[in-house]
Amino acid sequence: MNGRFKAAWVLRGLVVLFVGLAAAFLLDLWGRPTPLRAIPLVDPAFLDTATVRRSYADLVRAKEDLSDFDCYACHEKNKPPVLRYDEHQNLLIPTEHSDIVMGHGQHGRNNNCFNCHNETNLELLQTRDGRQVKFTDSSQLCGSCHGPTYEDWEAGAHGRISGYWNRSRGPIKRQDCINCHNPHSPPFPSRHPAPGPHLLHELTEAPARAETAH
Amino acid sequence: MSAFEPNLQSDAPASGGDMDRRSFLRTSAVLASGLAALAASLSPLRKLDDYVSLERFVQKYYKELTPEEMKQVLKRIENEVERQYGIRPHVRDLKPMDGVEFVYALNLTRCIGCRKCVHACVQENNQSRTPEIQYIRVLKMPHGSLDVEKGEHNYAPESVPEKGFFYMPVQCQQCKNPPCVKVCPVHATWQETDGITVVDYDWCIGCRYCEAACPYWARRFNFTQPSIPKERINPDMAYLGNRPRRQGVMEKCHFCIQRTRVGRYPACLEVCPAGARKFGNILDPNSEISYILRTKRVFIQLKEELGTSPRFFYYFDV
Repeated sequence: MNGRFKAAWVLRGLVVLFVGLAAAFLLDLWGRPTPLRAIPLVDPAFLDTATVRRSYADLVRAKEDLSDFDCYACHEKNKPPVLRYDEHQNLLIPTEHSDIVMGHGQHGRNNNCFNCHNETNLELLQTRDGRQVKFTDSSQLCGSCHGPTYEDWEAGAHGRISGYWNRSRGPIKRQDCINCHNPHSPPFPSRHPAPGPHLLHELTEAPARAETAH
Repeated sequence: MSAFEPNLQSDAPASGGDMDRRSFLRTSAVLASGLAALAASLSPLRKLDDYVSLERFVQKYYKELTPEEMKQVLKRIENEVERQYGIRPHVRDLKPMDGVEFVYALNLTRCIGCRKCVHACVQENNQSRTPEIQYIRVLKMPHGSLDVEKGEHNYAPESVPEKGFFYMPVQCQQCKNPPCVKVCPVHATWQETDGITVVDYDWCIGCRYCEAACPYWARRFNFTQPSIPKERINPDMAYLGNRPRRQGVMEKCHFCIQRTRVGRYPACLEVCPAGARKFGNILDPNSEISYILRTKRVFIQLKEELGTSPRFFYYFDV
């Protein structure tokens, strides 16, 4: 009698325990995952592998509109354009070329179009020693002054590369100087940075502290 | 239930025939509801399959898998990914190539701190988006110092680079003498012959010793189930590389094993708009990476004094 009485109570206790457990699991009392605030996906523009600029060679390859490079639509053949300067020897850029910002070299000393462009044939470029260079081979012109950088570029140490490091597996694509540098204003342009790391906690004070840290 | 019957019957005669039937019914009712409650309380175990499948549980160590077994494993992973993300991936087991040792070099003169590498890496390697896991951390450092303690992680100006600062991206340095490998109690992480330190996500027990051992803060832990939107899944996967991870395992940069072991450049390198990142085979004297280490002012292996001997070099142009 006593033993059976005990057993019944134990069983009842177990039933209560299990029902309690079942209820707890059903309601997910513990281990309920706190819903994470969805972090916005990064703008696909930041995943883009395109270069900063497109070179003349790129435009030719893509068979795009090259009317910007049709010098003799406006200029007259065999008649070198006349350059005009202000009193500080700054080049006065004609309105037809107002998109050009002259910023090659320090102190505005590289202020002569015909340092690089061929005076008599505007569809060609020209090095300082008189070698004529096609627009598609403009990197050679850059290399005529920037020798060490050109050497690095040839070796693959300067500039952008994509494709295959293992040349036996596939081709390598090397970008031209003017894919990244504007020849009239070569410093690499600044840009908006992609979002930084997301902290687990709300960013309320961290950015302010970051600003004043320096 | 019938197993209990003889027991009750043998107990019953002590309390008389009339009580037999009643107590039996009562006990059975209690037992039945008890079992039902037990079943209900154990029901969460049915979800266990999401966390550990039997196949993965009995899977052998990576280095002991025969090619046939590996095929099965890759198939299982493809099925799991398809079930979870609704995309059929192509998972490969890529082995290191002979005569190849990877080295990375980063040009601090060129880096502008745009963080494109960070996000290209996340996209290439199927990192979790919420919570966010990034392998590369770009430090904004004041000019004239190489003290990483002065590095600022959360810079967010209108445009970079900012005057007076340079930018130093830090990721796994693929050390020649990796502390993370030494501390792993289950050999779930090791250095391959091409220099890449890899993690077997199926073998990792999530103890995070490696995270503590790494002086470069290169290892990341999946505290919760990673989530990736279907449209951002990269289906080109490798077993030791960018296959999706699960909760409770470590992960880290692996030089884009799924790209570099088939001869391609890593994703962070191809996206860099400034061409600051260089990668290649150091054993090939004609590679650009050999040229850089031979001719450039390579100043640093980060925290060189620790003797970890990184395969990740920082250099200057001038």
